[in-house]
Amino acid sequence: MTDFPYLSVIFLAPLLGAVFMIFLSEENKTAIRRIAAGATLISLALSILLLFKFDQVAGGFQFVEKIDWIPSLGVSWHLGVDGISLAMVLLTSFIIFTGVFISFSIEKRVKEFFILLLTLVTGVYGVFMSLDLFFFYFFYELAVIPMYLLIGIWGSTNREYATMKLTLYLTFGAVIALVSILAIYAVAQSELGHYTFDLLQLGRIHYSDAFQIIFFLPLLIGFGILVPMWPFHSWSPGGHAAAPSAVSMLHAGVLMKLGAYGIIRSMFLFPVGAKFWMPLVAVLCMANILYGGYVAMTRRDLKFMIGYSSSSHMGYVLLGMASLNIIALNGAVLLMFAHGIMTGLAFALVGFIYDQSHTRLMPEWGGQFGYDAANTADPSQKKYPEISGLAKKLPFIGFFFIATAMASAGLPGFANFVSEFMIVVGTFRVYPVQTVLAVFGVVITAIYYLRAIRAAFFGEIHPKWEKLQDAVTWTQRLPFLVLLSVLLIVGFYPSLLVDPIHTGSAALLAKIQGSAGLSEGATLVEWARSVIR
Amino acid sequence: MIDSLIRIFPEIAVGVLAMAVLVLSPFAKREKRSLAYLSIGGTALILLSTLVWGWRFQGPAFDRMVIIDSYTNFFRIIFGLTALFVLIMSIDYAKYFSARQGEYYALILFALLGMMLLPASGNFLTLFLSLELMSLSFYILSAYMRKHPKSVEAGLKYLILGGLSTGTLLYGISFLYGVTGSVDFAQVTQWITARGKIDPVILVGALLIIVALSFKIASFPFHIWVPDVYEGSPTPVTAFLSVGSKAAGFAVLVRLLVSALAPLKETWIFLIALFAAATLLYGNLAAIPQKNIKRLLGYSSIGQAGYLLVGLAAANTLGISAILFYLLAYLFSNIAAFMVIVIFSNVTQSDAIEDYTGLSRRSPLLAVAMSLGLLSLAGVPPLAGFFGKFILLGAAVKEGLFWLVFIGAACIVVSLYYYLLIIKQMYLGEIKDQRPLEISPLARMALYACMAGILAVGIYPSPFLDMAMAASKILF
Repeated sequence: MTDFPYLSVIFLAPLLGAVFMIFLSEENKTAIRRIAAGATLISLALSILLLFKFDQVAGGFQFVEKIDWIPSLGVSWHLGVDGISLAMVLLTSFIIFTGVFISFSIEKRVKEFFILLLTLVTGVYGVFMSLDLFFFYFFYELAVIPMYLLIGIWGSTNREYATMKLTLYLTFGAVIALVSILAIYAVAQSELGHYTFDLLQLGRIHYSDAFQIIFFLPLLIGFGILVPMWPFHSWSPGGHAAAPSAVSMLHAGVLMKLGAYGIIRSMFLFPVGAKFWMPLVAVLCMANILYGGYVAMTRRDLKFMIGYSSSSHMGYVLLGMASLNIIALNGAVLLMFAHGIMTGLAFALVGFIYDQSHTRLMPEWGGQFGYDAANTADPSQKKYPEISGLAKKLPFIGFFFIATAMASAGLPGFANFVSEFMIVVGTFRVYPVQTVLAVFGVVITAIYYLRAIRAAFFGEIHPKWEKLQDAVTWTQRLPFLVLLSVLLIVGFYPSLLVDPIHTGSAALLAKIQGSAGLSEGATLVEWARSVIR
Repeated sequence: MIDSLIRIFPEIAVGVLAMAVLVLSPFAKREKRSLAYLSIGGTALILLSTLVWGWRFQGPAFDRMVIIDSYTNFFRIIFGLTALFVLIMSIDYAKYFSARQGEYYALILFALLGMMLLPASGNFLTLFLSLELMSLSFYILSAYMRKHPKSVEAGLKYLILGGLSTGTLLYGISFLYGVTGSVDFAQVTQWITARGKIDPVILVGALLIIVALSFKIASFPFHIWVPDVYEGSPTPVTAFLSVGSKAAGFAVLVRLLVSALAPLKETWIFLIALFAAATLLYGNLAAIPQKNIKRLLGYSSIGQAGYLLVGLAAANTLGISAILFYLLAYLFSNIAAFMVIVIFSNVTQSDAIEDYTGLSRRSPLLAVAMSLGLLSLAGVPPLAGFFGKFILLGAAVKEGLFWLVFIGAACIVVSLYYYLLIIKQMYLGEIKDQRPLEISPLARMALYACMAGILAVGIYPSPFLDMAMAASKILF
């Protein structure tokens, strides 16, 4: 182990890139794009390096850096990753790197776009790496505002409404969590006799059961909004649909994982609170999986479909976490990774199509699929035709979309299969009913993806789409190739990620199982029964 | 005597400067720019010397009439900075004053003198005198555009309601003096402590004083003057009112409550917590429908007072330090916003929010400065206001005021909404008016300074926080 500050460099590379861009002329688009690509490439390369340097035997938090920042309040610049955050850092690096390439097609206000995009990703890295609760929250909120402008300026469908809703929702989630964070801080001060935001020190304190039960809830709701956990999900599909491709990718691919990651860290701080509230999550996540999936089936807008599909898949992550079982928890973290990559790929593909077609609407559900010349009076005169039969003109994009659909529906060979399988196996012993229902969610996924493939990519092609261009240059193809290879590599060799993740989640579960059991009648179910009586 | 004089050298210097400006004003050319530069240079020098030597010459002065300590010095810096920025904005704005521009600068300096003496008061008489010096200057300043009905209305409203609060203050002081026989803070405290139980007359007196000062900090329900006065006053004066006058109100309120009226703590904490909650809710909710940016910032400044009151309701060292720190953050953020408003309205003659549409294309610097200011006020990291709100709420959590913290946290979301509405106009809106927005070199420097302040205080708050902590420890 050397003392090279890997994490700080990963974190600072995009930030410095953004700062450097401020001094460039707006006209110099090529230079701006190259800087963005270069900065994110540095982060990506180092993140991959970290994966191989991570000591799986030792586990725990590694590559730790610590500098006092605000000594009088116990705030320090304290970075470190365990297996769980390592996977998340890696995910972020992949998504932002490919996202920058996808964004090369943006021509409007390029400089501002990349500055904001890189600032956003700096915040995301900060959350995953911070071992200091202050900076954790700091970066969590930092990620919200660039998002507002990114969606508001470069977005599409109904962007002004969607971005305001998203920003306020996420800020609301953040400030709810803030109350608990401050409460932890206050308790720690009275327990330890000095101020500290150090997560490791905070994790060693024993909080009273009542305190844990009360203050786990704000954390759960606050972070749950970002997941998005039903019934706090309504900001998400609209936000995804309105956002420009790279932002949708980052948003669905990474930001939603911030929420799940926040819940995992809260479980570490409040083991008893987690035991108390997680059964509720196991119920709510069924709404995510089934209801989200159902709504995804009914959408005609491809991005809305993927948006709802994301919230449906995050239901599996929540289910895996709620089971408090090692296999399922590993699966949940792996799914966070796999789903991030998969959904990033999906949004990138849809964005590619939308850039040229300016519509994402698929033909009506039921009856008629695709464009059918015989049944429409004069279809070539139709002013706003739906997308259909695109695979004929866009074979490359079509192939990748089908691969994405297969990954999403959990076909073996893709990382999603491994993770969903682990979740189902692990959860079955704890929540058999939910597990059975969750498996049906996979069928729903298959339905809406197959429908999308059939409607958008097969069938007759409308004359208007004859002039669409496929991804031909390597800069266009690179992001798709990278993301799909990651899915396949992890799918065929999952222990590459599962082993480091295991070190993190095993420590978490050991703490939860080691915590004194809840006193008699203190589980949520018992409490609900007593109320009903 | 000499010691006393040395200790208040910044105040003396401000007084002399103000007089000098007044005397020189008939001799200056019509534009009176020379007077502006004189005031700016003088204020900058005084500020600098306070920063360097202010920490050294401390202690009570004039038989405890004035108390110079690091708390006082902290506020001298805040007021000095505010006045400096306000003077810079005034240069280009002064053309609306037709004549009497010389007196304008003198009045700003007199108001500054009052502000600087307020946190130093160790005696109810000093308190009253300095408060009145500040208020009287502001009555005139807010009506300074005498041909604009709105400005005259602002001045009149402020005068009448301000006079009411002055009366209340004097009445309250008379109660305390009547019972304790002294106007000295320390002796009043001693008397109350020695008495053991709380005298109802003392309570009435304290209540009246709190009400009078609540008027200055614009806390609900004594905020009614704010929107009209903010909208009608010349914009630099509005900026001075919203930062300087509010900070001065808090400076004296904190010193009075935390140190002089400490024995009544149990009682006033409850009252202040109620004020805080009401102020937060009212200020932030009423800001939402505003169409005029000065009015909006007026309501927002009510909301900000609510956050500061949360720190006072916590009444621990962290809370008081947080107030001081937050005032510093508020200074940079609010001044940045007002600076943009002045530059913008100099060209467009408009304060309507809808006219800010497309500003980011028209003048990226102005749009960025405004956004940083507003987002900092909303409490978005990595800006100054974020850390301020964080510790203010943290202090309240420490005292178990969870209901108040929930209200404060919810108001962050509300305030973000109306600040984002302006940012939406600037960044998402289409550009309509193509006229270029000129920014003078001095104003540009001031804008950069504000932005640097917002970022520095937000990203590396440690030195500023330590300064605030050192200043507030003295009160306990």
